[in-house]
Amino acid sequence: MGDVATGTDDDRALIETAQADPARFVEVYDRYVDRIYAYVSRRAGSRAAAEDITSDVFQQALAALPRFEWRGVPLAAWLYQIAANALANHWRRQGREADDPPPDLPDEREHEDLQRRVSLFQLVDRLPELQRRVIEMRFVEDRSIRDVAAALDRSEGAIKQLQLRALENLRKGMGIHG
Amino acid sequence: MADELVDRLDVAIDAVIARRDATATLRDPDLAPLVRIAADLRHYPGAEFKARLRAQLERRTTMTTAELTANVREGFATVTPYVWVPDRGLADFLIKTFDAVQTRVDEHGQHGTHRELRVGDSMLMLGEDPRSGTVPGRRMAFHVFVDDVDAVFAKALAAGGESMGDPADRPYGERSGFIKDPYGNHWYIATPLAPWSLKRALRSVTPYLHAHDVRAYMGFLARAFGAVEEELHEVSGGAIPYARSRIGDAAIEFGTHDPSPGAFFIYVSDPDAVYEQALTAGAKPLSPPADQPSGIRIGFVEDPEGTHWYIARPAPVA
Repeated sequence: MGDVATGTDDDRALIETAQADPARFVEVYDRYVDRIYAYVSRRAGSRAAAEDITSDVFQQALAALPRFEWRGVPLAAWLYQIAANALANHWRRQGREADDPPPDLPDEREHEDLQRRVSLFQLVDRLPELQRRVIEMRFVEDRSIRDVAAALDRSEGAIKQLQLRALENLRKGMGIHG
Repeated sequence: MADELVDRLDVAIDAVIARRDATATLRDPDLAPLVRIAADLRHYPGAEFKARLRAQLERRTTMTTAELTANVREGFATVTPYVWVPDRGLADFLIKTFDAVQTRVDEHGQHGTHRELRVGDSMLMLGEDPRSGTVPGRRMAFHVFVDDVDAVFAKALAAGGESMGDPADRPYGERSGFIKDPYGNHWYIATPLAPWSLKRALRSVTPYLHAHDVRAYMGFLARAFGAVEEELHEVSGGAIPYARSRIGDAAIEFGTHDPSPGAFFIYVSDPDAVYEQALTAGAKPLSPPADQPSGIRIGFVEDPEGTHWYIARPAPVA
């Protein structure tokens, strides 16, 4: 977890490139979106809130980019801080009391958890297209097997098989033994 | 067994998605590793969401670098305050107080008058509409740098202004006095005292927006108009006494004292795209972009704090 404790040269190059040319900020986004989403998602309460807050984090990071000074603090830590503030604002809007504790930043154990999820998300992105669609429709769009079967013009049995194969592939990819 | 596993997994996934208790499935050795993965997948960001956000960021960065500064009317900044008043009294006040120079007047009969004034290096637009006197609360605040705050403050009082705070040395590097004009607009008149005064970052006249939620507002302006945060002071308890963003080449300052919506002209090269972007960011539509007889194309939105934005592409130069 070297990139957690101290900023890497990669981080530094990434941020300096984006500062020189904001159009390159998407490279920061590409590298960190899964991780920030994973951090936000377990605290946000709903998928819609997690998407709104993640959006906010990257919009704010882009806005604050000119002021970011490289001091060896990893980019991830900077983004987590913005995310924690965005979550706190979200909670305030939801009517949580102002003196509730602010969202905690990830400790080492959560870093490992988040890293594991990021690896998993990347594996999902690389699944065969039909398996990926099933995962997306089930877990992101929250659709029933029947619904997915109708949308993909397959039998329910076939969709369940695809779902099992997708999860088996992910399990193998993650190096977890069944 | 395989068939059964397919069905057992599906039941377990339904429980995971519905956030029902799926702990029993963890005792099933075939199922447990798959159910753990399923639980993590609840947090999988959808591909569509990621692509949409990426496209938004891309659009914004191309807009901040190219669009916003590309098409500003000659002599103007990207953003120009538009002050609504019932008559020409504010123009007189500005001419007497700040030696403002009138650069343009368009009479529109019963629809009132559009007037443009230059103060130092900054432009102000005034909409003089006898009916606007009946619209409460649309007043604005400005930070104005002058060479001699005491002399200008005296002129403001003589022109009908009311003191909200006499000139004094302030800890933020300026000597300033605060005036309320006869229409309720606030003018924070200042002369820099120290090299680190805000003057170095500001024009002669900088609009000062008082908002209910400064951080959220700055976020909106970033998403809607590509505003870039330049300073943000937060004190314990989360209050933000001072913040500043920049849109194109125009600064906007923020505070939380007595919020009131105002109005702004913003010059862009693609008013349709910026209008759409403002709506996506949370603005309310007032009127979609349309070509005007004067040659400008302009659309109108209202932001979450109630301020109006006139999103315009200037008329082609003849």
